Amino acid sequence: MSRLPSLSRAAAAVVLGLGIGAAFAQDGPGTQAAGRAVYAQWCAPCHDPGVTHPGTHALTVKYQGIKSGVLLEWKDLTPVTVKYLVRHGISVMPQFRKTEISDRELDALAEFLSRNTPRS
Amino acid sequence: MRVPPGVSQSDFASAIAEFQKAVGPPWVFTSDEDLDLYRDAYSPFLNEPEERIASAAVAPSATEEVQQIVRIANRYRIPLYAISTGKNLGYGGSAPAYSGCVVVDLKRMNRIIEVNENNAFALVEPGVSYFDLYHYIREHKLKVWIDCPDPGWGSVVGNAIDRGGGYTTANYRNHFDSHCGMEIVLPSGELLRTGMGAIPQAQTWQQYKSGCGPWIDGIFSQSNFGIVTKMGFWLMPQPEAYLRGTVSLPRYRDLGPLVETLNYLENGRITSGFPDIASPLIGYPPIGQVQLWNESGPPSMTDEHRKLLAGVTLGYSADLEAYGLKSGIPYWELWLSYHGPAEVIDAQWRATQRHFAKIEGAKFHIVDRVSVPIDPAKVEEYHEPEFGIPSLRVFSIGARTPWNPTPSKGHMWFSPIIPRTGEAIIEANRVFSAAARDLGMPLFRSFTLPACFWERSFIFILATPVTEDPATNKRYREGFRKLIEVGGEHGWGEYRTAPVFQQAVMDVYSFNNHALQRFHETLKDAIDPNGVLSPGRYAIWPKHLREKHS
Repeated sequence: MSRLPSLSRAAAAVVLGLGIGAAFAQDGPGTQAAGRAVYAQWCAPCHDPGVTHPGTHALTVKYQGIKSGVLLEWKDLTPVTVKYLVRHGISVMPQFRKTEISDRELDALAEFLSRNTPRS
Repeated sequence: MRVPPGVSQSDFASAIAEFQKAVGPPWVFTSDEDLDLYRDAYSPFLNEPEERIASAAVAPSATEEVQQIVRIANRYRIPLYAISTGKNLGYGGSAPAYSGCVVVDLKRMNRIIEVNENNAFALVEPGVSYFDLYHYIREHKLKVWIDCPDPGWGSVVGNAIDRGGGYTTANYRNHFDSHCGMEIVLPSGELLRTGMGAIPQAQTWQQYKSGCGPWIDGIFSQSNFGIVTKMGFWLMPQPEAYLRGTVSLPRYRDLGPLVETLNYLENGRITSGFPDIASPLIGYPPIGQVQLWNESGPPSMTDEHRKLLAGVTLGYSADLEAYGLKSGIPYWELWLSYHGPAEVIDAQWRATQRHFAKIEGAKFHIVDRVSVPIDPAKVEEYHEPEFGIPSLRVFSIGARTPWNPTPSKGHMWFSPIIPRTGEAIIEANRVFSAAARDLGMPLFRSFTLPACFWERSFIFILATPVTEDPATNKRYREGFRKLIEVGGEHGWGEYRTAPVFQQAVMDVYSFNNHALQRFHETLKDAIDPNGVLSPGRYAIWPKHLREKHS
């Protein structure tokens, strides 16, 4: 199914209905795999690559080639920034409640999305 | 700690402690930080004192917990406000209608209890999103389609009880009409099942809608008479094939015959897919192409064409029409779709052409004729919800694109129901464009075409932006209220609206000194004497708040 992210085993687990819980159980909290599963469920529909994803399209236009519009390619996202944006929203993206993305899931997501960012 | 109006600190503290006992402490939220997550991200009162905010939130995982919450609320007279997935953006989101309510967040109740392939129905809890149900069906390889609205993260139950709509065939697009059977926690805490579900050993709860006696399901939609904890839906058997064609008409005056012919064909089920009216000459896209236009840009237009458009009145000028005739650009284009066996849909398309051929200059074009399911590699070429596939691509509306360099903060939908005639389309344009001009609201380019979600009527949808500037939002809010009033004067009313406009809309439904609203209040007093459940939702206030709010 091309609409769904073909990212990883963990993403596939979500698509197959095994869910975020399964990814956590398998990999333990805070791991990138668990974060990737959260990404696949909550972020991918707007932020996967391509203009058919409105978040990616918006960021591509915003950064005008200075950096990619694809969050997965960013190398400067910090866990603090990820958590702030998920809990506060930005532009037409609403904030997400803890019944949607729990604090534990958000930690994992922040870890995953900041995986390319050099640690100081 | 925030406290609901009229409730003492100590009573609220006791209620919170009991909520914690009912659902577990992690699922009761009281800090400002956590409660900010329940704000309406698209509130037209964003950051203003009138913004509707929660005093706490409680997230049950099962029906029994919902019953306990409602009983606790009755004991301490705590106002509650139920949400399902809370993604009703543009119609209130996850915020209460009455500030100070404790939000009952049903997102954790996300069980898909049954999907029956043979007789094509499902039974789900309110936390189940369209994405969830779609993935479940795919995972189990069931040959049924859901019908979803544009944003796929919404609740199947919540959208239906808010009377939302989708894009597949006429039998399924009206989400409340396509439901079958409900389970409801009443404001007393008692559990009720409707239709055949009232039989303890029910065999056909999702297969026969009305049961015996008054069919009461309707009163649990757009209301505050109960919390729906389970709801059944009829699904569409996966069709064998899909055909999409366009009917193009050359002249402005063809709009009336277009609508009349469409009505005959749709009401007779000769066509049953989502009908979508566009105007290539005016530059107005069909709804099914909006996301593609936002992503790739609108079709190009000559300078001459653009200049002519600047001179139209109600979408018309003789010069524009002449230009269209000369250049072969149709005034109107009706997109129709057909689902079923190839031999059946081919015959339906032939009959469609025969009927439209009576209009001089009608032209026909097959856009797609494909077997179903469509090739996954090609699904992005389509407006996915027309295939029952949930997506979030609709958020390209309002988001930053090359054609929209200044994104909005959100939007509110002004969406009155108007008659299914060409005259009504032109009249609605005349009335609302004049009003919008007077009110300084940026709603119109040159002409607006309505949406055909429901049979037999149109929804005339105008998106009003929400910005970060309170002064602009104030002007738009006041304008929005005025548009509601103007619509009412012409016999048009909203099908649905955000909490901040629900009173204004209900004021339009005023036949016989507001007999309808008074009946709602009579029901409210009988069903919810303590007035604990979702006060103010759709302007239904409990007795103790009624005078203050109506």
